[in-house]
Amino acid sequence: MADALAPSSAPASSRAGATKILDMSGIAKSYGATVAVRRVSFDIEPGEIHALLGENGAGKSTVVKVLSGIVAPDTGTLTLDGQPYAPATPMAARAAGVSTAFQELSLLPNLSVAENLMLPRQAKGAAGLVSVSQSRERAAAMLAEYGLGHIHPGVQVHALSLADKQRIEIMRAVARKPRLLVLDEPTAALSDPQWLFDILERITAAGTGVLYISHRLSEVRRLCRRGTVLRNGESIETVSLAGVEDAQIFKLMVGSAARDSHAARSSAPKDTAPEALAVTKLAGGTVQDISLRVGKGEIVGVAALEGQGQRDLFRMLAGLTHASAGEIRIDGKPVRLSNPADAAKAGIGFVPEERKTEGIFLGLQTDTNMTLPLLGKLSRFGVIDRTRETAAVLEEAGRVDMASRYLKLRIGALSGGNQQKALIGRVLMSGARHLVLFDPTRGVDVGTKAVIYDVIRQFVAQGGSALVYSTELAELIHLVDRCVVVYRGKVAGVAAGDDLTEPRLVALAAGHGA
Amino acid sequence: MNHPASTSMSTSSAQLRPQPWYRRMLSDGTTIIVAILAVLTVIFAATQADALSGSVLNDILNNSLPLALAAAGGTLVVLTRGFDLSVAGVVSLTNVLVAVYGGDGPWGALQGAAIAIAAGAAVGAINGYLVAYWNLQSIALTLASMIVCSGVTLLILDAPGGNVSDFMTYTLTDRIGGVVPAALVIAVVAYALWRILRRTDWGVGLYATGADEAAATLAGVPVKRVKLISYVLAGVCYGLAGFMLTAQTSTGTPNAGDPFLLLVFAAIALGGTSFAGGRGGVAGSMLGALTLTLLQKVLFSTGVSSFYTGIFQGVVMIAAVVVAVVFARIGSRGEALA
Amino acid sequence: MTQTPMTGGRPADTRDNAAAGGLFSRMDRDVRTAIALFVISFVLIAASRLLGPNFGSLAQMKAILVISSFLMVVAFGQQMVILLGGLDLSVASMMTLGGVLAFKWVGGSDMAVVWGVPAILLITAALGAVSGIGVSLVKIPPFIMTLAMGVILYGVTLGFTQGTPTGQPSAALSTLFANTAFGVPILYLMVAGTAACCFLQMRTGFGRKIYALGTNPTAAYVAALPVHRLTIAAYAISGASAGLAGILMLGYVRGVTLTLGQSYLLPSVAAVVIGGTSIVGGRGIYLGAAAGAVLLTTLSTIVASLGIAQGWRTIVYGAVIFVALVLLRDDLATLLKRGGSSRKKQP
Repeated sequence: MADALAPSSAPASSRAGATKILDMSGIAKSYGATVAVRRVSFDIEPGEIHALLGENGAGKSTVVKVLSGIVAPDTGTLTLDGQPYAPATPMAARAAGVSTAFQELSLLPNLSVAENLMLPRQAKGAAGLVSVSQSRERAAAMLAEYGLGHIHPGVQVHALSLADKQRIEIMRAVARKPRLLVLDEPTAALSDPQWLFDILERITAAGTGVLYISHRLSEVRRLCRRGTVLRNGESIETVSLAGVEDAQIFKLMVGSAARDSHAARSSAPKDTAPEALAVTKLAGGTVQDISLRVGKGEIVGVAALEGQGQRDLFRMLAGLTHASAGEIRIDGKPVRLSNPADAAKAGIGFVPEERKTEGIFLGLQTDTNMTLPLLGKLSRFGVIDRTRETAAVLEEAGRVDMASRYLKLRIGALSGGNQQKALIGRVLMSGARHLVLFDPTRGVDVGTKAVIYDVIRQFVAQGGSALVYSTELAELIHLVDRCVVVYRGKVAGVAAGDDLTEPRLVALAAGHGA
Repeated sequence: MNHPASTSMSTSSAQLRPQPWYRRMLSDGTTIIVAILAVLTVIFAATQADALSGSVLNDILNNSLPLALAAAGGTLVVLTRGFDLSVAGVVSLTNVLVAVYGGDGPWGALQGAAIAIAAGAAVGAINGYLVAYWNLQSIALTLASMIVCSGVTLLILDAPGGNVSDFMTYTLTDRIGGVVPAALVIAVVAYALWRILRRTDWGVGLYATGADEAAATLAGVPVKRVKLISYVLAGVCYGLAGFMLTAQTSTGTPNAGDPFLLLVFAAIALGGTSFAGGRGGVAGSMLGALTLTLLQKVLFSTGVSSFYTGIFQGVVMIAAVVVAVVFARIGSRGEALA
Repeated sequence: MTQTPMTGGRPADTRDNAAAGGLFSRMDRDVRTAIALFVISFVLIAASRLLGPNFGSLAQMKAILVISSFLMVVAFGQQMVILLGGLDLSVASMMTLGGVLAFKWVGGSDMAVVWGVPAILLITAALGAVSGIGVSLVKIPPFIMTLAMGVILYGVTLGFTQGTPTGQPSAALSTLFANTAFGVPILYLMVAGTAACCFLQMRTGFGRKIYALGTNPTAAYVAALPVHRLTIAAYAISGASAGLAGILMLGYVRGVTLTLGQSYLLPSVAAVVIGGTSIVGGRGIYLGAAAGAVLLTTLSTIVASLGIAQGWRTIVYGAVIFVALVLLRDDLATLLKRGGSSRKKQP
């Protein structure tokens, strides 16, 4: 397979003085009293893949919304191919030549792939009525053209895997042959991004511009020549990525020297620690046969390609999925986890992957969110003791480095990173002794990631245990004592110490080598 | 996961295909209501002597047609995740309008139908506009419009009355050529119109809107217009229901539509349409209406005191929904990835 | 859910900061709505002075408040269920059942009140709990479950009374509505009750968990909240509230009919919704529902005495509900500014 896409020194079809695909200047947008972006300016040349970098809450999603015609900016100018660009609706944006693949997928689960692709106007047959066969034919042709021939156009979208859904989301945007393609975290669910890179190479050779938003710096460096860093709603600087180090980029994103999230672990692996959490020959859902062990004071990582069983493994530990065989032991004693209440009683603190839908209560205040599991202990005869509640929350907020002024706000108003901190704070407050974290730093900015790592380390240092799944290998390597790799529902191998390297994990995850 | 692009994970092991028709039927709510209907028919035939005679069947179809038409309309709104409580008000209103202003003979009936459809469409347009463009909650808004409609109805006729033509009373409720009940023809035509509408951009947009409005908007579906049209069409259905009710009862009654409120939603639920939007259809709801009507007849013919009719209706409703949920889960398991 | 973007590190909507000491940042808005509704009611009563010397008096205000007690009680239970994102369509039958049983058991002697009332409340709570079990354990949609329950209960009530309820009025209950030296007792109970209900919602663990469950059922389950118990409890409370309203009705009317609860079903939903509670749950306080109940009762009383045709009365009633809905819109401010529509998810 061809090597990863190398950034060209000059975009294929650019000539000196060629009209820029996109020119954004001084864009500002506020929602009532909240300023989302205050001054964003950057440009994209024909055939360029331009990165948009920044922490959560820096304004990236607002930029995407402005470009996609979902919201209109308050001030500023936008030109597309030299012409003024001010779309009133998403359809207008599309008509003008801007196509977006959204981070929160915009597919309809109850419609077929073909229907989704043809929206809003289906293929028509006789008498002007929708023709299912024609729609499917056209859809099949599209899918084949972009290497997705394995997806049948008649399948309902809800039956597809998350990766396939993301591929279709991207493909739908690309198939409109836009002048500007906006990709918001396009590889979040993709196990193999080469498919996307190939497509990008094709379309940029033809002159299309791409705005690429991703937290994954290695990808960004591979694809993009330039990148614009946003911070606090402002575009700080547009840099040439080849000449800039990661640390410098972080500095621009955070505004100060970022805490070194790659600090080495201080302690040696603890093989002799008493068993805190263990599973033996566990099976259920997509898990075939997994055995692993987490000792007291240990952080054990789980690495896997998408859909290899890691999700069901974690959900069994959380009491959300039924275990069909095998044993789960907490503190050496076998337990049955048939629901989240059982897991909570066993001392498991679970942080789910989708905080918005499964973790936090968006409409409630942050402190309410955090004290929820503790209400019994904070009340007398059912009535909540406010003083005790406030004291408990302040203490917890300090532990997760959450500014106290956020506590009385609705949690929906906080950034993703702060929401995640609140969620972890809640889990800690519930008195859990065993952390089970599924992708705890997903969609979280660099500064918050460092805080979360610290929290986990402190937690195990005080005698707890932690099992962490992450899609970022670099993160796992620097956080965990040992890493279990799961492949096809079984343990493919365990890496520790010197063996704990990215290439080793990748090999194990792909099923190569023992 | 970040790793060098040496392994290709883009192809899954087997191609996922759409469900075979028998699997789809299991999870489709229509199958269940057909099954319930079949059971009821058997019981009915067993307990009433002339159960399967032409005149009795015609009677049942006539009795259930207004509810079936109203339930069809209500389904359109439920598919968008909304609730249309105005059905009771519109049915009463059009019932009374047709009784008072309808003319004689076939042209008079046509005139009456036109009035009913216009009135229903007007109410539907107001409902739809306020819900779709002003973002008012559908339950609350249609509750208010139902109350206003019943008030207008009282202004037109404050006690049962009106003058219903013989054509409507006898011919519309009779059998065509002595064999085919007119009610059946009307129902089939209504359903056929729905199948056609289903195969338009609006039809696909309807299901998209109900499932995920935000995604539908991003996909370019004119969500507001889709909702508006569904409320207008619903109003038309209610108008037709009121019109047929007039033919059936041969009179205009100011609160004729009251029982429709709960019965319509019962029929929709029985028919397998989900109240969360995006799933279900008109066929199930119309069959659900037929089931409810037949249930009443069965209870009567088995000698159950009319006091207890309600209990059976309630139990059947619950049973139908439970069965539907169970079957849907069985059906969808076949689609899950290995 | 609406996405309010966050500028890195900066608190978002400054309006939220004003809710210091409040449980929900929107409580200010909910309290404001409730107070507005009370004010509108009193203004309407005062304005009805124009209709004649008997109108707009303090006595009439008291009378209206007394009558609105029934709707207020039913609306409490209805709101509890709506907060969970559900609906209770059985309140009419439950209320009728409560009244009929009270007529049978509670009437005649004062002692009967002591054991009769709790017994009836227990029965209606248990029946409500059955609905709750159907909704949370069997996963039947609330609309259907409570609709069916209501129909079944009505059939049962019809059955055991054979169409004619028997019994006697209760002097003890009627005293609640009598004009005593200290005023009408029910009014004091209403104020105390409203305060107690609001307290339950906002300051107890149970109330908090209900709001959490209504805001995000999936997250509530993952967070190990006792989802089933909460749901069943909410529906039980709704059943008992409706039953209580029926019992009180006996005290006021001194007799029962089989249709006594019929005119309370839709108004109970209307009162809750007008009072600012979202139909999808998670937001709203009882004070709002109580205010909505008072407004609706005021409305129907005044409209009824306007001496106009019943048709017009009904139209006015519906029109006012409509106006209240429009004025209470969340995005009214944005609408007025932009003159267009905003992108909100439709429940």
